[in-house]
Amino acid sequence: MNSESFASVNRSVLIHAAIVIVFGLIAVRLFSMQIINQEEYDRRSAGNSIKGIEQVPLRGVFYDRNFEVMVSNTPAYTLRILPADYDLKLSPLLDKVLEMDSGYVDEILEKNKIYSKFVPLRVRRGIDFKVVSWLEENSEHLPGVDYIVEMQRGYPADIMASHTFGYTKEISPNQLKQEKDFYNPGDYVGHNGIEKTYEKLLRGTKGYNFVLVDSRRREIGKYRDGSEDKVSIKGKDLVLSLDADVQRTAEKEMRGKRGAIVAIEPRTGEILGMVSTPDYDLNQFSYVTSKDFLDSLYNHPDKPSFNRATMSLKPPGSTFKMLSAIAALDIGVITPQTTIFCGGGFTFGRFFKCHGSHGAVNVFSALEKSCNTYFYQLIYKIGLDKWKEFCDKFMFGHMTGIDIGEESKGFIPNSAYYEKIYGPNWPRSIMASLGIGQGEVSVTPLQLALYTALIANDGISYTPHVVKGYLDEYTKDFIPIEFEKIETGIKKTVFDVVKEGMFLVVHGAGTATSLKVDKYTTAGKTGTAQNPHGKDHALFVGFAPYEDPQIAVAVVIENVGFGGTHAAPVAKKIFEAYLNKEKKSDDKMKTLSKDDRIAGVNIAR
Amino acid sequence: MRVDYNISDKFDFGLFIPAILLLIIGYVAIYSATISHPTAVGNFEKQLISGVIALVIFFIVYFIPTNSFRMLSLPVYITSIVFLLAVITIGKTVSGQKSWLIIGPIGFQPSELAKLGVILALSAFLSKKNTDIESFKDIIIALLIGMIPVALILLEPDLGSSIIFMGMILVLIFWKGISLFGLFVVLSPAFVAIASLFGTYSLIGSLIIVATVLLLFRKDLFFSASIFALNLAAGFFTDYVYTAFSPHQQKRIQAFIDPMSDPLGSGYNSIQAQVAIGSGGLFGKGYLSGNQTQLQYIPEQWTDFIYCVIGEEFGFIGSLVVLVLFTSLFIRLLKIASVTKDEFLSLVVVGILSVFFIQYVINVGMVVGILPVIGIPLPFVSYGGSSLLVNSIMLGIVANIYRNRKNYT
Repeated sequence: MNSESFASVNRSVLIHAAIVIVFGLIAVRLFSMQIINQEEYDRRSAGNSIKGIEQVPLRGVFYDRNFEVMVSNTPAYTLRILPADYDLKLSPLLDKVLEMDSGYVDEILEKNKIYSKFVPLRVRRGIDFKVVSWLEENSEHLPGVDYIVEMQRGYPADIMASHTFGYTKEISPNQLKQEKDFYNPGDYVGHNGIEKTYEKLLRGTKGYNFVLVDSRRREIGKYRDGSEDKVSIKGKDLVLSLDADVQRTAEKEMRGKRGAIVAIEPRTGEILGMVSTPDYDLNQFSYVTSKDFLDSLYNHPDKPSFNRATMSLKPPGSTFKMLSAIAALDIGVITPQTTIFCGGGFTFGRFFKCHGSHGAVNVFSALEKSCNTYFYQLIYKIGLDKWKEFCDKFMFGHMTGIDIGEESKGFIPNSAYYEKIYGPNWPRSIMASLGIGQGEVSVTPLQLALYTALIANDGISYTPHVVKGYLDEYTKDFIPIEFEKIETGIKKTVFDVVKEGMFLVVHGAGTATSLKVDKYTTAGKTGTAQNPHGKDHALFVGFAPYEDPQIAVAVVIENVGFGGTHAAPVAKKIFEAYLNKEKKSDDKMKTLSKDDRIAGVNIAR
Repeated sequence: MRVDYNISDKFDFGLFIPAILLLIIGYVAIYSATISHPTAVGNFEKQLISGVIALVIFFIVYFIPTNSFRMLSLPVYITSIVFLLAVITIGKTVSGQKSWLIIGPIGFQPSELAKLGVILALSAFLSKKNTDIESFKDIIIALLIGMIPVALILLEPDLGSSIIFMGMILVLIFWKGISLFGLFVVLSPAFVAIASLFGTYSLIGSLIIVATVLLLFRKDLFFSASIFALNLAAGFFTDYVYTAFSPHQQKRIQAFIDPMSDPLGSGYNSIQAQVAIGSGGLFGKGYLSGNQTQLQYIPEQWTDFIYCVIGEEFGFIGSLVVLVLFTSLFIRLLKIASVTKDEFLSLVVVGILSVFFIQYVINVGMVVGILPVIGIPLPFVSYGGSSLLVNSIMLGIVANIYRNRKNYT
């Protein structure tokens, strides 16, 4: 070949062919994209530019049993940063304006690096109005920084109930992984207490506003004029079994003390009040919680985060004497008339002291006077394992199944337990102390309250609970939540005897006569739990009115001394708070506006 | 000189009409792509001014004496080289490339002028009486004329323009009449160089293929050996150049070899462009109603991705119209190249055809997702003054050659 082949026909044909083939290839490709697969591309194109802005629904509020608002929603300002637009040089300034430690803003940005840069981050909730006006004035110098109004929890009833209500917290990565169909990063979920247990009722249904966005995810208008938008539906409002007056009184009485109070309506198992002190301010969790606050919560020697009402384990002391009496009466080893002589103590291997010489005592006077001698001997008549069976009936050594938070089982020993420690010939003298609620037995205040409620209601009650039910979001009808019935299977006559003994504790010559009032009758039992590490723990269990029990209460105050001196007066205040007030009408429920049910707050994602 | 009063004999409407229609379609698309864009909103007006200037220049070129093209070939070529050297040293860096030369208020891309320079110079050399395209020496000279600007453009680095140049050089040599073996000698080093980018094994593999083919041609041993040595050099030189690049440049080359290695960069554009076109359907979403375009999902859409505006807003029909216009333009250019008897002028027309065609293939192929993302404008349609001016000069040259096609033999 040589230059004769310049611009030959063949070469021209080759180039011509190349031009036509390229045309064909591209045309086929276009046909496949625009005609055959058009729907798929269209779907992707629409998904591209339509953004659903989540409408975070309002959380359900908490009412007390008389429809007083206990936990509500209040608006608050939240400072946000859009990482895509944000200038890191602003961080020191923001730290200062927010009055946070230096590095606070950068730390949050660093933690959220894994998420999209076009999703705004909540940097601090509950910012001061002064900060908001500063943001407004300087917005042009603060690229990527803005604020929104969000709802946060408010506590208008002047009630702490820290451990019962619980708080909400930004969702953990773990939980997010498990429930990603509902939650998004940055969502707040119930972390403990009622907020956690009833999260699914409280959270409501998310709504969406569809907007058109450009490629930088900036909003530029509504999608189809909002016709596809979904309105968020407010979470269900809970009706608690708590009584605001009881709760307030209990908190007031426990201020400055360590311990717990649990008050239960015996017939229903509804908890009327529950306090664990020291407690903490839930308002602190509405904001981005400060480090100092968390330090004080978790590192304080008194452990404020620990719910003493359901978790602290103490020997029940003399409050446990009813259990021995019930067991002995029910299995028939004693009758109400059986007497035992108290000469100031009891010898079984060694001498067990009583706090006095009560002479001949029967079950009534033994309870009234809290005679140790009587109950030291009673447990030998019952037998250890039989005694434990009765403990089981009252849920001692078991979780009660309360609807909030963590709970301790407590401990009730049996013969197998002692055999394991001491061998088959374990010293039977150990049993004597158990009869008066000392030694290896440990119970929670909640268990004591349930036990008292069961005695008051002749052995029948329900799993203790703090939430009665909820309001339907549309009709506002009350929908009750059902709880399991607890039946001890013990004869009513047995309870009549024991209750009479408890009546005498207050109304006879007993250890809590200070509780006697004119308006109603009270029955109870004091207790003092020996504490090898310091002052004794003061206990009181009781119920009122004696004839028709409306409230049963257990009070445990740590390291203060005698139960009759320290715990009983607290119980008196609680009885008064519940029984002396004028009954509120249920009409309040009807005044709830139906407009409450739909409300939301914008959180752009 | 013959006098002919039939205007279509002097002025080629088959050339001018498709080009002017493409320009108008370009205006329509640029308007749509920039109307709601915050920073590019003035681009439509700028392109209008460029269009007027381009039209004036087209007619100036159309009317100048045809023999001046051959005379201008060397000066234009040397000017191109000077500008290319200047841009590497004092050029303005735009998105990682030093391809813009700013003189006063005017900025232009020397690589656009170099297209013209190389077409003219290479055509002039190839059409010289004593040039033998089958001689090893002349092939090397031809390649040197072409590859010197390519090397400079690669230094910017502007891979897209380099590909246009290499393609255009090949087409010119092919049109000149190189033999199959000659074509192999020219192509094999490029083949080895590209293979070396994929690693040592593919380099060795490519060298084995080259050696095998050389043996099949049964040329004399010394000749074959020197060609193999050339291939070897190409392979190692590429490797050497590659390691000399900065990591940033290496990454760009990597992304070119494997676009999915950078899904948020060039991969993102490619995906969004395909979504734009595919969602256009048969008739499109309507003018100014393409959400991909109007919401700026495709960055700098008025330049390299202009074709997806047409695809999205005018659908399959609109896209096809553009394809038909280009194809008719190319076939017309090929026809003129074939009927032009003067070897130099015929080569110039083919060179111009190849520049338009390669840009069109790479651009549309990229936008519809059958080729990797390489930043090359679509001739006449994309926004850009330098490109439009040089394209109109080239079109003017062809129109000029058509006007005088009967005067040269």
